[in-house]
Amino acid sequence: MSRRAPLALVLGAGAVLAPMPWLLSDFLLSLALSCLMYAGLAASWAMFSGATNYLSLATAAFFGLGAYVTAWGVAALPWPAVVAGGGLVAAAFAALVGAAILRVRGAYFAVLTFGLGELVRHAVTYGEKRYAGTVGRVLATAPSPATVYLTVLLIAVAAVGVAVLVRGSRFGRALAGIGADEERAETLGVDTRRVKVAGFALSAFFAGALGAGVAVRWTYIDPPAVFNPFIGFQTVLIAMVGGAGTVGGPVASAVVFSLFTEFLRLRFPYAYLIVLGVLLIALVLYLPGGIASLWERPGRRRAEAPSAEAAGG
Amino acid sequence: MSLWLDLAAGGLITGGIYAVVAIGLNLQYGLMRIMNISHGEFLMVGAYLAYFAYTGLGLNPLLALPGIAGTLFLLGLLVYRLCFRRIVRTAPGVEAIEARSLLVGFGLLFIVQNAAFVAWGADLRGYEFLAVPVDLAGARFGANRLVVFAFALAASLLLLVVLRFTLLGKAVRAVMQSPTGAHLVGIDTAVLHPVVFSVGLALAGVAGALLSMVYEISPSMGEPYTVTALIVITLGGLGSALGSLLGGLLLGLVETFGMHFTSPSLKMLLSYGVFVAVLLLRPRGLFAR
Amino acid sequence: MTFRMKWTRVLALALAVLAPAPVLAQEPPVRIGYAIARTGPWAAGAQVTQEPNYLLWADQVNAAGGLNIQGKRRKVELIGYDDRSETETTVRTFEKLMGTDKVDLILPPWGTGANFAVMPLAQRYGYPMLAPTATGRKLIEMKNPYFFALLQQPDRMMTALAELLAARGVKTAAIVHVDELFGLETVSALEAALKAKGIQIVEKKSYPLGVKDLSPVLKDFKAKNPDAFIGVTYPPDTFLVTAQSKEIGFNPKVFYAAVGTAFPVYKQRMGESIEGVMGLGTWNPRTSPAAKSYFDAHVAKFQKEPDRWASAHAWAGLQIMQQAVEKVGLDRKALREMIASEEFDTIIGKIRFKDGENVLTPGIVSQWQKGEFEVVWPQARATAPVLLPKPEWK
Repeated sequence: MSRRAPLALVLGAGAVLAPMPWLLSDFLLSLALSCLMYAGLAASWAMFSGATNYLSLATAAFFGLGAYVTAWGVAALPWPAVVAGGGLVAAAFAALVGAAILRVRGAYFAVLTFGLGELVRHAVTYGEKRYAGTVGRVLATAPSPATVYLTVLLIAVAAVGVAVLVRGSRFGRALAGIGADEERAETLGVDTRRVKVAGFALSAFFAGALGAGVAVRWTYIDPPAVFNPFIGFQTVLIAMVGGAGTVGGPVASAVVFSLFTEFLRLRFPYAYLIVLGVLLIALVLYLPGGIASLWERPGRRRAEAPSAEAAGG
Repeated sequence: MSLWLDLAAGGLITGGIYAVVAIGLNLQYGLMRIMNISHGEFLMVGAYLAYFAYTGLGLNPLLALPGIAGTLFLLGLLVYRLCFRRIVRTAPGVEAIEARSLLVGFGLLFIVQNAAFVAWGADLRGYEFLAVPVDLAGARFGANRLVVFAFALAASLLLLVVLRFTLLGKAVRAVMQSPTGAHLVGIDTAVLHPVVFSVGLALAGVAGALLSMVYEISPSMGEPYTVTALIVITLGGLGSALGSLLGGLLLGLVETFGMHFTSPSLKMLLSYGVFVAVLLLRPRGLFAR
Repeated sequence: MTFRMKWTRVLALALAVLAPAPVLAQEPPVRIGYAIARTGPWAAGAQVTQEPNYLLWADQVNAAGGLNIQGKRRKVELIGYDDRSETETTVRTFEKLMGTDKVDLILPPWGTGANFAVMPLAQRYGYPMLAPTATGRKLIEMKNPYFFALLQQPDRMMTALAELLAARGVKTAAIVHVDELFGLETVSALEAALKAKGIQIVEKKSYPLGVKDLSPVLKDFKAKNPDAFIGVTYPPDTFLVTAQSKEIGFNPKVFYAAVGTAFPVYKQRMGESIEGVMGLGTWNPRTSPAAKSYFDAHVAKFQKEPDRWASAHAWAGLQIMQQAVEKVGLDRKALREMIASEEFDTIIGKIRFKDGENVLTPGIVSQWQKGEFEVVWPQARATAPVLLPKPEWK
């Protein structure tokens, strides 16, 4: 499958979106940032969890770790180092725990990663309280809004680009193979353990980098805000509604979801989440393949749990 | 009462609260692999119904329980028909059912929680009921907590009895073990599923009503209880009624002893640490067969 | 001049002459924007303490004909959004209100976290904000010229408590606190204040948010038999320690639970047990006639009472804003200048800001007595004498 066209699309979109800080109002820029953030989160989530069926709810943990790296480091380190550091810390954490936890699947794995996320949150709360005498950190120095936006744009483009590259590669086929039939993949010679941990860590990197980038917008962060499980839920929601087996689905879904929720929130200041819930249920019931199934070619149409397309790539 | 017994009793009572919260979710997951992430929201609805019954009608919450259970049972039938039936029928496999019902659960969570915010306001509410201390062999406990504990035990045992000895229970266990086999012997899942789902919802509502006697209520109270329920049923083994009772009690004990011997700050770390450890070492749960 | 310009002038003149008398012309409304928690964890506090006051105030102002701005009466139009208890959403919404919608004034969101996030924006866009629910040294230390904290900061509140305890001969205290910025800061202020008064701390324990059982800690405290129990607690934990202390029979001479005791739901939930319980408060309907009429208006509109602490600060903030606007109009820079330097009369007394902190409202201790949260310290503001020791739990 050609990867040129999608990659060109991604890079082109990135180029188009780059001048936005000088064209859009602060509010619209923030909205764009929100879309980009969720596009990055959802695409990197789908890259691993969509392919392997290990449905991870650990996104909040990675995001929060990245945010805390920023909180700890932004006053002392240059901005790119902080953001990259956030991604690397999250990836390292994922690699560390991945070996142990990537053994149970389905709902068990979702619940396990959720528990892990809460564990990380409480560990950070306790550690900060005990050793730093504080809960919550003030981020007094922050780069300009344009810098933050461009950072998020860069990470999102990278996340989506990497997801595209992975999908067409041997690594991606191995991931999909694990999702289809893990034992069979093993017998076919795939080092499933390595592949899983690598995929998990890779998707964690982007979540961590995004957390690191976005945290400065809040001036003050504390564990409940950055380790908010809702970030994880929303990522999973967006990715699955988009069609977790694809790259384009989660991205499109992220944009539609962010814009639509914002529109609803501003239009119906009291009842918009109810409307959202109704729409979500309708979507899951009547378009189970996700938004992507609207444009995926019929021969390649698959349920949101991608099946034996290991060879099809 | 000696320190150990005192702590143990406290832990068991807290554990009873946890177990009661988990029963309904366990039924739904065990039978239909529906991970109802909106479980806590229906618990919240039950809590509000009890609150209104008490403050508005002066009705003793314990007497209001059957009414609340009935209301939520009917609500469950409606919710199942509208939201879950299609998934169970059309999903290509068990993992798809889990994944899709997870998403639908989120949708329900948004709807129910925010309907509560709109209808009842975000304020904390609460009432006083049976908040009297009871002396048990030298140690004192709140009567309302004891009632919740007693109910947890009673409901779990009743459920076990029903599952083991009644025809309905046998049908449920049959479907849990082998859906096709159950079909072959004539068990009609089209009736069984909605009934069991709705019983699960009714149990959530009853748990909420009981909790409203002990804790304050608000529209966002549900999520932490969903989390607790998930932890408990995972500890106990998904689908095992006895397991979730024992899992809840165990969690309560771990927390109480942990808090005493280390520090309350570590309580959350302990709970989640135990949870993660159990899932890694015995993913089927501590008490599953 | 051009043909066009000439005719435009003539037209304008004609219209001005022929137009209906000014008394029928509607002045544009004063647009006041805000985002506040209507859903999510912050909503419980925001919907008791803050947003009802915004709505009540707008009603009252409009019923009186509107704000009096430079001789014209202009009605208030509130533009409020739900921030979902999410910092990112709060930031984005205020960017919209100030940057895109360019509202005339803003009102703050609820809670320290959200206010931290909006503070830099307020400065960037130049909108003064009077915050009734934000606490913390770090916040004040940001020295943001557009940010004004109305609430008494932890150090002042704890000093007042220590003074009361010392005046009544309390010698020992056991402390429990929540693992949160507010809890930590308040506790360190408390420790310093108690030390200064020679009161010994026999035990100090902390707990995370969301704990459901504190009886092991309370039993421990009971065994140590302190004169005073001081809980730096949030509403759910305040209810918990009250209920569980009653359960286990822990009845020290002084029982203090910080946040939540001022909420009407505390009385509803705990019933008669609350007699003698102390906590953070500032006012009640008996503090002044103005306070009483505010209280009555609140109950009339919402069928629920305001809380006995920050609700009044929220109202005071609105009063200050109204007074400032009616003096200098809608020039936000001038408003900021005025708020930063003048003294204002409000329902909680005189308020003046120094470096963004309200320096005139003292630290206050309130106590539940016969169904009302009486102000018992300092004596100059008291509505009832201190009840010590606390009666047995009922």
